[in-house]
Amino acid sequence: MDLANIIQPPSTPSLLSRLRANLFGNVLDSVVSIVCGVLLVMLVYSVIDWAFVSSIWRAEDESLCKEAGGACWSVIDARHRIIFFGLFPYEEHWRSTLACVVMTATIVLSCFPWFWSALRLSALWLAGFGTFYILMHGGLFGLSVITPERWGGLALTIFIFAAVSIIGMPLSILLALGRRSKLPVIAKMVGLFIDFFRSLPLLTILFTAAVITPFVLPGWLQGDKLYRVIAGFAIFFACYQAENIRAGLQAIPAGQDEAGSTLGLSYWHRISRIQLPQAFRNSLPAIVNQFVITFKETSIVTIVGFFEILASGAAAYGTGKWTVHYIEVYVFIGLIYFMFVFSLSRYGAYLERKLRVGHG
Amino acid sequence: MAENTSNTVTAVAMNSVNKWFDDFHVLKDINLNVADGEKVVICGPSGSGKSTLIRCICKLEDHQRGTINVLGTELNDDVSNIDEIRREVGMVFQQFNLFPHMTVMENCTLAQMLVRKKSRKEAETIAMGFLEKVRIPEQAGKYPGELSGGQQQRVAIARSLCMNPKILLFDEPTSALDPEMISEVLDVMVSLAEEGMTMICVTHEMGFARRVADRVIFMDQGEIVEENSPLEFFENPVNERTKLFLSQILQH
Ligand SMILES: Nc1ncnc2c1ncn2[C@@H]1O[C@H](COP(=O)(O)OP(=O)(O)OP(=O)(O)O)[C@@H](O)[C@H]1O
Ligand SMILES: [Mg+2]
Repeated sequence: MDLANIIQPPSTPSLLSRLRANLFGNVLDSVVSIVCGVLLVMLVYSVIDWAFVSSIWRAEDESLCKEAGGACWSVIDARHRIIFFGLFPYEEHWRSTLACVVMTATIVLSCFPWFWSALRLSALWLAGFGTFYILMHGGLFGLSVITPERWGGLALTIFIFAAVSIIGMPLSILLALGRRSKLPVIAKMVGLFIDFFRSLPLLTILFTAAVITPFVLPGWLQGDKLYRVIAGFAIFFACYQAENIRAGLQAIPAGQDEAGSTLGLSYWHRISRIQLPQAFRNSLPAIVNQFVITFKETSIVTIVGFFEILASGAAAYGTGKWTVHYIEVYVFIGLIYFMFVFSLSRYGAYLERKLRVGHG
Repeated sequence: MAENTSNTVTAVAMNSVNKWFDDFHVLKDINLNVADGEKVVICGPSGSGKSTLIRCICKLEDHQRGTINVLGTELNDDVSNIDEIRREVGMVFQQFNLFPHMTVMENCTLAQMLVRKKSRKEAETIAMGFLEKVRIPEQAGKYPGELSGGQQQRVAIARSLCMNPKILLFDEPTSALDPEMISEVLDVMVSLAEEGMTMICVTHEMGFARRVADRVIFMDQGEIVEENSPLEFFENPVNERTKLFLSQILQH
């Protein structure tokens, strides 16, 4: 046998040779590549220069900012407490910090598959929310009471996100199942409910929850404005998420449920062990997307008078000499958002890979 | 197989069962008795109602007229009756319907643990026994998507057996398989038959029918047109429609 004639798999071209072929294939390509390259380098250079080289970092050095010409991080150094804590009393900031850490840890822990049973997840979230509430609200263990109007900053943003998710997720599952109910009355009513809330802007819902419901609901049902807003937000979230989950359920062949039935599994076992895991896998990208959108949309609560992180940012640069440094404040807040949202997306990508196991 | 007991218990008794899909009459006056330990093969042209018939036996479909008794329990809207029957009746589907997000082992242990309340360890021991029986114990850790069609169908059979059913229903278990995989599934079914399992199989595998069936039933347009022992059924079909059907499938 002629060894030279044995067919080899084509070797994958090196990165360098692929770049050369794609970017410098002909004269025009080369010119465009070079121009873009130069622009990119200039951009990166000026950003680095602004952020790191010509920048001023310490609060006391604010007077040097104008001359240095770069970012004036002094504003963050001086005002970061307002960004993180809003109107929360100064000497209690440690409570808000701890509450943030606890809530973030709760979110991170619930991302681990080990916690994915109804019991463990509920225990985790009960502990997480309980600790958060005691720390923020006080009134127990000698902590002074701080009512929700004075909560603010990052702690409030994280709290609203976590609360909306934790109320919204089970609700979205119920809505998705309800809309697929075999009883036409239930399916129709749930469908109407979902479509009604999806056709309202979030802003309208939050306004209604904050301002109008007090006139309608009996006093004992009103609760704090914050909780009404969270409830409205959660319903809005759930209606969208329900449609994502329903899409995932729709994609499961009928045979899956039939196989479950003939094995004697009850309706809830079929839902929890067969349908939902597959539905989540089917529409994972859309589900994660909804969380990302929700995290960013928490900033809307400013409108009904809450001091979430974006509003406290505005307060941070809102006085005296700091008013000129709003860009630095927004870049800083942008980075905080980025950290959360980027982690969420990466986690989504990780889950997608993990759940694809055995689905070649 | 000869009926080996004198006091033959009725496994399935269908009495003038009628079913409609809207105003389409799928099952017309079906009378069918299957004794304990009996093996019945149902065949017939596409759309004749074979699947619908056996799906009625495990209550995947509701019938509108007549009665169906399974192991002495009547199938009606009483939920506890349905649960009871589903625990005793297993079903193997044309499309396997394994749970794709679970390993082979998890597929086999899920219902044992949730329905039969067995411990994981106990369930896994039982599952391993049946996986050995269908000759794929080494695949226990894999996901269904990593197996061939024939292997998947054997897992599906093992999964049903784990529930220790008294009756097994098969709906064209080999129709979705490549020819070279059909025999590995049929072999498993033959060995089940030899162990005395009550089986109702919708299949066009006539070799299988000749070998294990006590009775062959021919359906057409929602009716049982003819039923007989395999020997009589294949050698001396009576009805014209049966003759036509047999000539069509035996051509190949
Ligand atoms: N859910 C349903 N709704 C309406 N009609 C149905 C439904 N299921 C089956 N049918 C119709 O009932 C008839 C019998 O269907 P069934 O699946 O029982 O046939 P079959 O004998 O199993 O055919 P095949 O050999 O193709 O599997 C067919 O005409 C089919 O179109
Ligand atoms: Mg069929």
